[in-house]
Amino acid sequence: MRMRLFAVAAALTVTAAGIAFAALPRGKALAIMHERHEGMETIGKNFKALHRELDASSPNLNIIRASARNIEALSAKASHWFPQGTGPELGKTGAKPEIWQNPQDFVVKMRDFQAEARAFGAAARSSDLALIRAQSSDLGQTCKACHDKYRSDMHH
Amino acid sequence: MPTRIFHWLLAGLILFSWWSVKNHHTDWHIWSGVAILTALIFRLLWGLFGSSTARFAAFVRGPAAVRDDLSGRWTGIGHSPLGALSVIALLTAVAVQVGLGLVSQDEDGIYMGPLARLVSSDTSDRARDFHELWFNVVLGLIVLHVAAIAIYRLRGRKLTLPMLTGRAALKAGIEPMRPGKWWAALLCLVAAFAIARWVVAGAPPFGS
Repeated sequence: MRMRLFAVAAALTVTAAGIAFAALPRGKALAIMHERHEGMETIGKNFKALHRELDASSPNLNIIRASARNIEALSAKASHWFPQGTGPELGKTGAKPEIWQNPQDFVVKMRDFQAEARAFGAAARSSDLALIRAQSSDLGQTCKACHDKYRSDMHH
Repeated sequence: MPTRIFHWLLAGLILFSWWSVKNHHTDWHIWSGVAILTALIFRLLWGLFGSSTARFAAFVRGPAAVRDDLSGRWTGIGHSPLGALSVIALLTAVAVQVGLGLVSQDEDGIYMGPLARLVSSDTSDRARDFHELWFNVVLGLIVLHVAAIAIYRLRGRKLTLPMLTGRAALKAGIEPMRPGKWWAALLCLVAAFAIARWVVAGAPPFGS
């Protein structure tokens, strides 16, 4: 247990340091910003699709599972979407400067999201609708926790 | 009295809707919208079955009456003919805003308006964009409304106190208002809650 805690702390520190200190050429930074925007939008689209399915009178599990897979796969990539230098100083983005001012907190929220995306993926592979609903709501709260604090109201 | 309660409730709810959405309390924002919907339905019904000064048929007048009002020849109680235009504009703008909100979903798809399931996800996203834009129209009309009250005040007519107390000095020869029946107000209120409850359930046969 102690070792595990230590490992998690070490991993968080390394990731936080990665977010804080990586210097990027402009072209690469813009490409990441673009990938982040598209990725977040796709996660949102998938979440909307599965939420609607869960509210339907007879939810289509295939749609829910496909959305869960997409979200899980994209969530794994999301750690690489926020290197230093991809904030508002680079261009139009909803990512607030606070992300890079509180890297430790941001990484914790990112990990919460990734863990919930995996948990939701596992739930979706079952056929237990009550479990799927509960996990989808937990997943949604990790989106909200981060967005409330680190996303500005961006109009596109 | 029901008209005045409606007015101040609406003002409070609009303020609360704005505050709650700015502070990411999207669930409270949706309930505030449902409360506004209930209030609007009540006002619409009270405008048909309410007191003499609340009825649309009595206070909404033609262009001739508005001209009389502008040149200061209008005498009466309740909403003036020019004020009536403001009432209609405000009620319509708020109704449009509520309608857009009902079919909207938030940017992340976590929260949906009670009727969002009746339209596609893309439509709900577009409705949210218009809902955000339309708030500027509502805000503009509120600014105009408050500015008009300020102008009346500069010209020596205090409109705020009567809107709180319901009492105003009556000029000679003007017929006083006929208050609505308490049971009519109760019936309008029950109907408003019933219709809003039906909308919250997801409308037609209760959702998709």
